[in-house]
Amino acid sequence: MKILVVEDDNLTASALATVLGNQTYTVEIATDGASAWELIETFPYDLVLLDIALPKLDGISLCRQIRSHHYQMPILLLTAHDSSHDKAVGLDAGADDYVVKPFDPEELVARIRALLRRGQATAQAVLTWEQLQLDPHSCEVSYRGQILALTPKEYALLELFLRNPRRVFSCSAILENLWSFEDIPGEEAVRTHIKGLRQKLKAAGAPTDCIETVYGIGYRLKPASSPPQRHSGQARDAGSKCAHPGAEAPASSSAEQTLAAIADVWDRFKPRILEQVAVLEQAATAISSQTLTEDLQQQAQQQSHSLAGSLGTFGLETGSQMARSINQLLHCSGWSAAEGQRLRQLVAVLRQTISQAPAALKKSPSVLSTATAPAGDPADEPPLLLLIDSNPSTAAALIAEATHWGLRTELATHLAMAQARLSQLCPQVVLLNACSVDQSGLSDLRRQLPTVPLLVRLLEPAVPLDCQDLAPCVCLPPLSTPAQVLKDVMQQLHQANSIAAKTDATIMVVDDDPHLLAVVRVLLQPWGLHAVTLDDPTRFWQTLEAAAPDLLVLDLKMTPINGIDLCRQVRQNPDWSSLPILILTSCRDARTISQVFAAGADDFVSKPIVGPEFVTRIMHRLERVRLLSNLSEIDRLTQVSTRPKATLDLYKLLRLAQRQGQGLSLMLIQVEPMPALHSPGSAVLRQVGCGLRHGVREEDVVARWSETEFVLGLYGMPKDGQNRLQALLSVLQQDLIAAGFEPVTFRMGVAHYPDDGENLPALYQSALQQSIVLADSLADNLAEQPRDQHSAYHSCANKSDFCKSTSAI
Amino acid sequence: MAVKSILVVDNEPYIQEVTQICLEAVTHWHITTASSGQEAIDKAESEQPDAILLDVMMPDMDGLTTFQALQANPQTRHIPVILLTAKVQASDYRRYSEIGITGTIAKPFEPLELANQVAQLLGWTLQ
Repeated sequence: MKILVVEDDNLTASALATVLGNQTYTVEIATDGASAWELIETFPYDLVLLDIALPKLDGISLCRQIRSHHYQMPILLLTAHDSSHDKAVGLDAGADDYVVKPFDPEELVARIRALLRRGQATAQAVLTWEQLQLDPHSCEVSYRGQILALTPKEYALLELFLRNPRRVFSCSAILENLWSFEDIPGEEAVRTHIKGLRQKLKAAGAPTDCIETVYGIGYRLKPASSPPQRHSGQARDAGSKCAHPGAEAPASSSAEQTLAAIADVWDRFKPRILEQVAVLEQAATAISSQTLTEDLQQQAQQQSHSLAGSLGTFGLETGSQMARSINQLLHCSGWSAAEGQRLRQLVAVLRQTISQAPAALKKSPSVLSTATAPAGDPADEPPLLLLIDSNPSTAAALIAEATHWGLRTELATHLAMAQARLSQLCPQVVLLNACSVDQSGLSDLRRQLPTVPLLVRLLEPAVPLDCQDLAPCVCLPPLSTPAQVLKDVMQQLHQANSIAAKTDATIMVVDDDPHLLAVVRVLLQPWGLHAVTLDDPTRFWQTLEAAAPDLLVLDLKMTPINGIDLCRQVRQNPDWSSLPILILTSCRDARTISQVFAAGADDFVSKPIVGPEFVTRIMHRLERVRLLSNLSEIDRLTQVSTRPKATLDLYKLLRLAQRQGQGLSLMLIQVEPMPALHSPGSAVLRQVGCGLRHGVREEDVVARWSETEFVLGLYGMPKDGQNRLQALLSVLQQDLIAAGFEPVTFRMGVAHYPDDGENLPALYQSALQQSIVLADSLADNLAEQPRDQHSAYHSCANKSDFCKSTSAI
Repeated sequence: MAVKSILVVDNEPYIQEVTQICLEAVTHWHITTASSGQEAIDKAESEQPDAILLDVMMPDMDGLTTFQALQANPQTRHIPVILLTAKVQASDYRRYSEIGITGTIAKPFEPLELANQVAQLLGWTLQ
């Protein structure tokens, strides 16, 4: 509970803070009426303790102001005047009670408790959750009668959850409720206290998930296992609105709470909503068998109308649209066979949409667009398909298929509607029905979405659009099935992603079932994913080092070493600890899943594998890794700078060179496999990264530019950089061979600022054009020369020479 | 200061509840609910809400019949009524305003905007 003390006398204010703090209240102090008003407008308070004589704005005026703005938290006046007139003025101004100074601490606390109790007219004296009890009078918390020793903040946290049993609190909402304005700590503090509270609850025997984490939003009290109360009752129980607005979080988090509360209603009423769909199913069946009664038709009209009016509010806009189409069909009389079939199809898709709704509910842009989006990782969200189609039945079938492929969908029945929502939706791919758009409309759309794949479904027999003029669009042949259409959509999406990411990925899959591995290879290949499969887990580490995968898929049950153990080993290995890992498992029980995540896996995929799900999960994970990798500064494998980091550093060096009139060398090194060998493995790249890092000065830039390409930026380097780089690479080649690796090909190029270019792209292009292959001569030399001569070669072009030459500049 | 009160009328309990959540989330209004036209008429008379949000398509007594009954009753005729309905076309809006409906909000409504729409139609402030 948070109390605002408005008192200009520091001594009294600090005494009040101590007295109230001892009662576990959170206290904030304002020393004049104006700043108190600012605080009241900004933060939620459960009670205001108000001195009458205040600078800037006196207590009585402030009291009137608070009430005239409909704030209804209790106000307790502190007055030095024990006159009836003063008290009457105060109470008339909207105060609830008064205490005469000098106050007796015990009386003050009792009056505050009474006011807070009155605020929660129907709240229970003792707050309970299953067998957990919190007694606000004694400040005691017990579980099954056993007293818990909580810190004041843990107590306040628990009280907050118990008083608002259905509310999800974000970290910031908790901070605002439980800490005073001057000493709000970081969100980490909330997590620490939550952790402490959970541990104490667990030690007392309470369920560990009593305080639930709501992913991406915050925390809440887990709904008790007793049947849930209706919301209306609960809202008044908490006294949170009508009686006690001060206890509410500010607007920023109220949107999240509203959506969470709506999600809760959805969960509880989903069976009722499916009952409504069942009436539609009965009607559709009766229409097919020509046995529809008037009564059933009316009921079905009523239910479809109700669904059309409600599903959108739960985030299922497409559900509302389908229900509306169903409602229109149900208002016909005399249905053709085709209409009957269309009705059945629409109802079937509606049921599917509702059944799959929890995901749609949380992720629907129609809900989130106007809300504060949860702080989830955007890379976790499936791509959005914007479907522009005026035909409800084809749209319904496509939406169902898209859902199957793990896409989110938004339906616009005409182009103008889609265009109006483009900036809000930001689709990753657009699918249009040719009859819903004309040539100029399509050109407009292309201008609005220059990089998003547009796919147009052509109609038979007429082909109204000239695909030749729509080079950036993909025209799909008439009569494609929804499955074929979605396959094309997914491929376009993937291509767009690959172009964006500029590299395809290697997926290593370990499973002792060779049949499954064969299936996986076939599944991944069309998506540009290179599958490295292994059916013998004892060869895991050699294969991992050689394959250097971007993602690892491990079967859970393998012998002699299972997926969980392998996952743990990978997580403990410093070189591979951040490799994304998916676990394949046929068990989905809570214990297995928790083991999977406890071992450090990022995700799990159920067996038997469902193609679209498997590919989608891998794609999502890779997208996420790419996002993180773009954000990170050090390349995980080679420990040199990432490209984004290096780009910034190179620009800095370039500016310095311009200002100082110095030179700058940009060096490009590509590591290529020798003929007949596989692409360079991770260990080779790691060694190259290490060699380059140690071969230059600390202030130089060393970066992994792409998969097998490195870039060096050396400030002030003289023009013989090419020879020196060649020397460094020959040393690297020697080190690789000495470490037992096969020789690799180095392609190298050097460009100098300002002669070869004045900006980074120009220098890079110049280096690329001037690049030469080194490997042949080096390898030939090495192959022809005896080992002792290698050493001689080494000694004349060693790393220290390179370092000396660069540092001497 | 008297708290504004609103009577929400809808035969579907989950729509009642979502409507209530959306209004309570950003206002201090006191929300009560009714599940049928007749219950709405009774509660309007006894509770004298400041406004009524009324669904149109309800079994037994539809929203428009309920509205006419409220208008015919001297004790409830002053209460502004907003229709909250999926049954809205341009012609409906016209018809509703002609018979004295204060405003119409289309369903499905945007949850985070509902209170604002209601306040605007009634000329109330959200604070």
